[in-house]
Formats: sequence, structure tokens, C-alpha cells
Amino acid sequence: MVSIIRITLKGIFRDRVFQGIMVTACAFLLIPVVASLSMRQVSELSLTLSLSLISFILLLLAVFLGGTSLWKDIERRYTFSVLGLPISRQSYLIGRFGGTALFVLLAAAVLGIAASAVVFYTSTFYPPERPILWSTMTLCILFDALKYILLIAVAFLLSTVSTSFFLPVFGTIATFLAGGVTQQVYEYVNSQSADKLSPLVRQVATGLYYLLPNFGSFDLKVNAIYGLPLPYNGLLLTVTYFVVYTGILLSVAAAIFARREMR
Amino acid sequence: MNAIEIAGLCKQFSGKRMTKVDALKGLTLTITAGEVFGFLGPNGAGKSTTIKLVMGLLRPTSGTAMIMGVDVSQAKSRQKVGFLPENPAFYDYLSAEEYIAFVGSQFGMESVLLAQRSEEVLKCLDLWEARKRSMRGYSKGMVQRVGLAQALVHDPDVYILDEPMSGLDPIGRALVKDIILDLKKRGKCVFFSTHITDDVEKVCDRVGVINKGELLVVENVETILQRGVGGYSVLVMNPDGKKEEQFVDNADLQAFIQQSSSNHQSIEQIVPRRKDMESFFLEIVAQ
Repeated sequence: MVSIIRITLKGIFRDRVFQGIMVTACAFLLIPVVASLSMRQVSELSLTLSLSLISFILLLLAVFLGGTSLWKDIERRYTFSVLGLPISRQSYLIGRFGGTALFVLLAAAVLGIAASAVVFYTSTFYPPERPILWSTMTLCILFDALKYILLIAVAFLLSTVSTSFFLPVFGTIATFLAGGVTQQVYEYVNSQSADKLSPLVRQVATGLYYLLPNFGSFDLKVNAIYGLPLPYNGLLLTVTYFVVYTGILLSVAAAIFARREMR
Repeated sequence: MNAIEIAGLCKQFSGKRMTKVDALKGLTLTITAGEVFGFLGPNGAGKSTTIKLVMGLLRPTSGTAMIMGVDVSQAKSRQKVGFLPENPAFYDYLSAEEYIAFVGSQFGMESVLLAQRSEEVLKCLDLWEARKRSMRGYSKGMVQRVGLAQALVHDPDVYILDEPMSGLDPIGRALVKDIILDLKKRGKCVFFSTHITDDVEKVCDRVGVINKGELLVVENVETILQRGVGGYSVLVMNPDGKKEEQFVDNADLQAFIQQSSSNHQSIEQIVPRRKDMESFFLEIVAQ
């Protein structure tokens, strides 16, 4: 499995999609200039923009690398040769996922360093009203990376049942959009202001809340930008949620992939 | 121990409008260790389906297959197998050397041995110069040779090759035949599919003919060639020094030799004329 992870990483580094996405990271250079246009809260704005840019780049990586990794292997017939080796399909799938997830972590680390440099630079010239908590910023980026690793697991699951890249790519984007609002929708349908909603709508919303990943709990941007204290118990719960949810997704994906016909 | 054992293997695919297509109908076949077996059949006969089932790429509708006594549903059944898929494709962002190293690592080869074997197979298949280039820029024939190199690198006991000569030029084809003959000498089992009868005639011990998903016959290549002797082509030299080629039936050979001698003709060459593998194949498939 380690060698599958290794060649997955090699493949990503040599992929044109990755190179194109990483060019987007050059936008970090513009952040101090754009933030200074706000005239006030320049450091906070540069932090907001940096974290948002990291999130956007990681989203692109998760959707395009996660959604096409397995599909490309099947489409280009790489699976015939690789699965002809003494590798179980489960190991192969987990290896491909592991390589992609590891890459997202590496990318988050590199982008985090770039963001720190940008924020340090702007905060030197425009001291923030509240102190910048570097540890909170680091955790914010880490949890963002975990969110996108979970999204990659969704993309892999969709790839195991799909014969084209439409479902993995667009299904992953749809899951990302839905997963970002499930918490708010759930809270709304269970509030007094939603009394007029039919029980069916409430049940569907509740069902989707439990079925779809809840990305809301991974978002620590507000804490990082305004230097707010972190809810450590909540973070522990989020990590547990990440491990369990990703584990379930990968188990289902591995079970489906093990039965898939390589025609 | 048998290298490959296939018992009652069936594969049904779903066709259009809920129809079922029988790609393989109850294939039973045993290939012994050290044997070179040619799997002959026209396009769409079920050769690649059989190989994909044996390699665990497809799941059988019914029946079983084992490699070296291990059921093919288990990954470890491929531990002693070198596999070349039909029209192979490999991670094209890797170089041939990197891919061979990856394959060797999957078979648990020690790094020193792997480096040595990698050099051997890459040189043998004329890929040494191109070994560091990304496979994205390789020709079809070069990719096919990488496929053979990765099947050979760990020196397995069983080789399963799907159309190994496909995409190769005459030099490449001759090289592959030599490689198979060398494997035969070294007691390896080679199971390969082809629709080119000449390949089978040159290198195989036994041949199986498959058509429309059914195994029609399994026969020794030598027996087929012996059985097919239909006469002799005899080159005689007349007393005036002129050479002449004549066709003589099996039964008439002895009389012809005596006749030539009494006519003061000398016999220069006698070559048996026989039906080749192609005639045998066409006869079987036409039945």
C-alpha cells in the first residue's frame, strides 16, 4: 500500500491539473495589496483572504484529484495492470486515497506557510486590534484539510459506482455545497419558526442531516480571524466524527470496488 | 502441482434491453507447470474474458479458477504470476524504470536484486536507453515491451500473457518468441492468448481453441503437426544436372525413391508437406 501511496503522490506532482491549481496560489502575493484597500482591519482581512484562498485551493484539489484519481485509472486501463499484481483491491483503493489525502495535507502545510508569511507581513505594517493566534490559525488550516480529506473520501465512493467523471466530480461539488449547510437546515427545521413545514420535509431534512457530511463543524475561520478561544471538546468530537465518517465511506467504497468488474 | 486449474468457468454479461450474453460457457482446463499453452480463438471468442477471470479482474458467474492451488479471488494467487494485459497501459507519468521498480516492490523483491533484474529485463527488451523517459512519450510497441518487462522482472513460475505479440514489429515478435522459448527451457508455465496460429506453432506444447465462449478442442501441437502430414515435397536432380521439385503422396514415397534411383536421378531434399496450425484452427472453428 505504501508504494501505491508513493506513486499516487508522484502522479499528482507531475499532473498538469495540480500544476494549474498551484499557479492559483500566486494569488497570495496580491493579498497584502487587496487587504490594504480596506483602510481598516487590514490584518484581519488579509487573514480572512488567506484562509479563504487556502480553502478554495484545497477544494479544487479535493474535487479534481479525488474525483478523477480512480476514474482515470479505470478509464485509461491502468487498473488492468496494477490489479494484476498481488494487491487486493481494498489496498489499492486505500493506497490511492491515502496518497491523495497525504497530498492535501502537504498542500495545506505549504499554503499555510505562505498564508503565515502574508499575515505576518500585513500585521507588521497594520497591527491588528486583536492578537493573531498562530496556533488557532494552524488548527483552522488543519481542520480545513480534514474537511477536504473527508470530501475526497466522498469522491472515491462516487468513483467506485461511476463509469464517467461526471458523478465523482459534480457529485462531490454537490456534497460539498450541501454539507456546508446541513447544520443550519437541521437547526431551522427543528426550530419554532419552521412549524408550518410539513412533517415529510422535516423528516427528509433530518435524514439528509444524518446522511450527508456535516462540514460546518470543521470551520474555525471565525476563531482564527478574531482570535476567539477554541472549543476543544467540540474539536475532539469533530476529529472523531471525521475518523468514523471517513472510515464508513472508505469501507463502503472498498466493498463496492472489490465487486466491480474490470471489463 | 498444476499451474492453472479452471473448472466449469462461466461468465455472463448483461447486454442491452436486459438480455444476457454468455461470454464463457463452462470452461474446464488444466495447465501443468512447465507447459507453454496457446489459447487460440478468433476475435470475441472469449480469450480475454478467460484471462481476466483467471486474473481476478472479472468475477465468474459460476465455476472456479486456481493458480498454483490458490483461488483467483485471493490477491496472493497472483504472487507467482507475471501478467501482461491486452493492449496494456501503465501510469504514463512514470518512466519504465520507475514502473518496473514499483512492480518489483509489489512482489517483495529486495532492492539489490530488483535493480539487477530491472537492468536485465530492460536491456533484453531494448528499453534501456529509454528507461528514464516518461512512458507518456512511448510508442505502442515500447509500451508492449514494458508490459513484458514488468511480467518478467520477478521471474515468476507462471506467465499469463494476453496477446503478447500485439503491437510489436517483426523484430519484437521474434524477440517475444525467443523469450517464451527460453521460459519453456527454464521450466516456466506460459499461458498466452493469440489469434495468430504461427505463434502457437512455433512455441507451444499444447493449444486450446475457443470460439463463441466454448472450448472446442485441446491438443498437443506436435500431434496436430504430425497428423497433418499430407505428403512430401521432393527435390530431385536429373542426370543432366537440372533440379526439379515434385510432390509425392505419403504412400508413394518409397516407390518414388526407387523409381528415381533407377532413372539415375539423385534426391537432393525431402520435406514433409503438412497442414499447418492455421488449417487446423480454421477447420475447428468452421465446425
